[in-house]
Amino acid sequence: MKKRRLLAGLLAAVMAVGMITGCSGGSSTSSGKSGGNEKVTIKVALWDYSNTKYYKTMFDAFTAKYPDITVEPVEFAADEYDNTITTQLGGKQDFDVVFTKGTPALSALIAQGHVLALDDFIAKDTSFNKDNYLGLIDQLQMDGKTYGVPFRKDNNLIFYNKDLFDKAGVPYPQDGMTMKEYHELAAKMTSGTGNDKVYGAHVHTWPSNVYNYARRTESFDQLNKDTYMNLKPYYEEILAMQDEGLIQDYGALKSSNIHYSGVFYNQQAAMLQIGTWFINMCLENVKDFNWGCCSVPNEEGMGNTNAVGGVTPIAIGAYAKHPEEAWKFITTVCGEEGAELLANTGIVPGYNSDKINGIFDAIPEKYPNAPEKLSNYINVEKYVIEQRMSKKTKDIDTIFQEQHSAIMTKSVTIDEGLKKLIERVSEVEAQ
Amino acid sequence: MSKDNSQIKKTKPLARKKTLVAYSFILPNLIGFLIFTFIPIVFSLLLSFCEWDSGNPIKFVGLKNFIVMFTKDSSFWIALKNTLYYTIVTVPVTMAFALFLAILMNKPLKGRVFFRSVLFFPYIASLVAVAVVWMALFNPDRGPVNSLLLAVGITNPPRWAASTTWAMPTIIGLTVWKGMGYYMIVYLAALQGVSAELYEAASLDGANKWKQFLHITWPSVTPTTFFILMMLMVSTFKSYDTMYITTQGGPGEATKVLAYHIYNSAFVSSKFGYASAVAMVLFGIIMVVTLIQFKGEKKFTSYL
Repeated sequence: MKKRRLLAGLLAAVMAVGMITGCSGGSSTSSGKSGGNEKVTIKVALWDYSNTKYYKTMFDAFTAKYPDITVEPVEFAADEYDNTITTQLGGKQDFDVVFTKGTPALSALIAQGHVLALDDFIAKDTSFNKDNYLGLIDQLQMDGKTYGVPFRKDNNLIFYNKDLFDKAGVPYPQDGMTMKEYHELAAKMTSGTGNDKVYGAHVHTWPSNVYNYARRTESFDQLNKDTYMNLKPYYEEILAMQDEGLIQDYGALKSSNIHYSGVFYNQQAAMLQIGTWFINMCLENVKDFNWGCCSVPNEEGMGNTNAVGGVTPIAIGAYAKHPEEAWKFITTVCGEEGAELLANTGIVPGYNSDKINGIFDAIPEKYPNAPEKLSNYINVEKYVIEQRMSKKTKDIDTIFQEQHSAIMTKSVTIDEGLKKLIERVSEVEAQ
Repeated sequence: MSKDNSQIKKTKPLARKKTLVAYSFILPNLIGFLIFTFIPIVFSLLLSFCEWDSGNPIKFVGLKNFIVMFTKDSSFWIALKNTLYYTIVTVPVTMAFALFLAILMNKPLKGRVFFRSVLFFPYIASLVAVAVVWMALFNPDRGPVNSLLLAVGITNPPRWAASTTWAMPTIIGLTVWKGMGYYMIVYLAALQGVSAELYEAASLDGANKWKQFLHITWPSVTPTTFFILMMLMVSTFKSYDTMYITTQGGPGEATKVLAYHIYNSAFVSSKFGYASAVAMVLFGIIMVVTLIQFKGEKKFTSYL
């Protein structure tokens, strides 16, 4: 009996010890790999690694160029990437390279001190030329320092289904449309009812699907409350289109989580305003109709001079063990080699050159249903970042999402919504 | 066994040994509780007086977070109001349905086991799946619910999750439907403990069904009602997952509850100190409500 009790006590103690050690065991295993002679392993934090082919190709190309550097990808779920990476870096994870989803995420990481300033690396590296990035390096600055190099950039375009336009005998949408012309075009292209209905256009549910029209002409800026009222004509036009049934209802789209891509692939909408990542998606998924694109409409009739969109910057983690190697990695994947690989899949790289433009212009040779001269929309005079760098960008973004949904579901009037937007952003600025 | 008997005389060392063995059994769980629950709560309490963005050093700011919360953050008040709305409606409605169904399922009904399982099913199903189905049912344009309403002649059916007025009722409906099966089972267990003699005696005295319910069933299940009330209150106050999956707090801020506000402040805006302060307020509310219920339970179940 006594022995049995002793045994029980012992078992319990072992269990207790097991629990303590059990929970700390996970994290310490990965760092001990780089034991070989001066071989260095860099940790790269990113999303969608396992389902995106070009990452692996790119990393292999990098390792071929620098045989002493091994790349260890650390993948996180795409949907929660921003929040996960913040928490991971909060725990001082030693990622050398940190992919970020955009300017709001990068701004937040900078404010938290989770990423390194790159100015010294840029100054030392004579082969790095920031002119290849359409002024984006400077737009990625915060407090006068540079923290990111654009891996990808995605400006917004109107994608359209040429076959539907041909069938209706309506001329294709053109660069420099006004919102009114866009609206009228959508009306001409709407046909059918019920399940056979073809909508003239499709407006996805992000706030940027409305404000980017105004942002392209720089009449709107998230960081400047005085410009918020300039969104009014755009909301009016989009809501009118919704009321007339020319686009799918915002609330219905939200409730059923409809992805814009299916709507376009299945020819349920003649036009779609979305980012240039859709070029790659169309190349892979659109086989049975011809498609084209043009610049997004605006009230000022601006043609193809400006482009508006987001950037996917890459940064160096603040707790990196090998920042020098990380910089080599960044300049490779964000440089000409990486850019070519990206461009060949129809994804617009942050890096710009004649060669890259040539790749985009050659797309119809391989994909006859794709448009000619895509470089017109990639090699633009001015690239306007949709959300500027600021510590408050993420908070402001949340407020925009809230008020956008209120306006689009007509829970409030446009004036009320925009007024609320101004109030809430003032609140955030004051905090 | 005889050895054991001889040891009883030396009670003290034995008792101590027994206690030690008991502690050693509690220990693993206690350590888990300390590491994963207690320490984080204390840390969160301390954090609520600080500013921390997960990167820069923690900075003590005194009551600033609370002052900002109460005076400068309109979202907090909206979230508080929404939380109260959500809780005050969800809790009684869930309880009423659960009790009603339990009484039905307590009758010798044909296929009773089948119906019980059907009613319990939403509870065991994954919230994500259930929520997606619910949203599809209540789709404002294509959903079967609105098609039905249109078919019976209602020309302007509610736009459900796509309207600031109806979004919260839609989510409440989902919560009630998902949770009532579980509480029905709990009520069912309580009902089966009520002596059949009481009902017999009452019906002999001429009490109708409603009287029987009022004077026998309801008082007999009061302790269960308190238990369910408490569990439901706590879970609805803390609720956030349903909103996260269905409406992301929208449209506007119509379904933003306190727990969602905490999530947003902490993991989207990286204001961990501020989020902790809101969490402390939520904790305080839940604690006060629970204490009141403890007191109430003693008072209202004293006849048992």
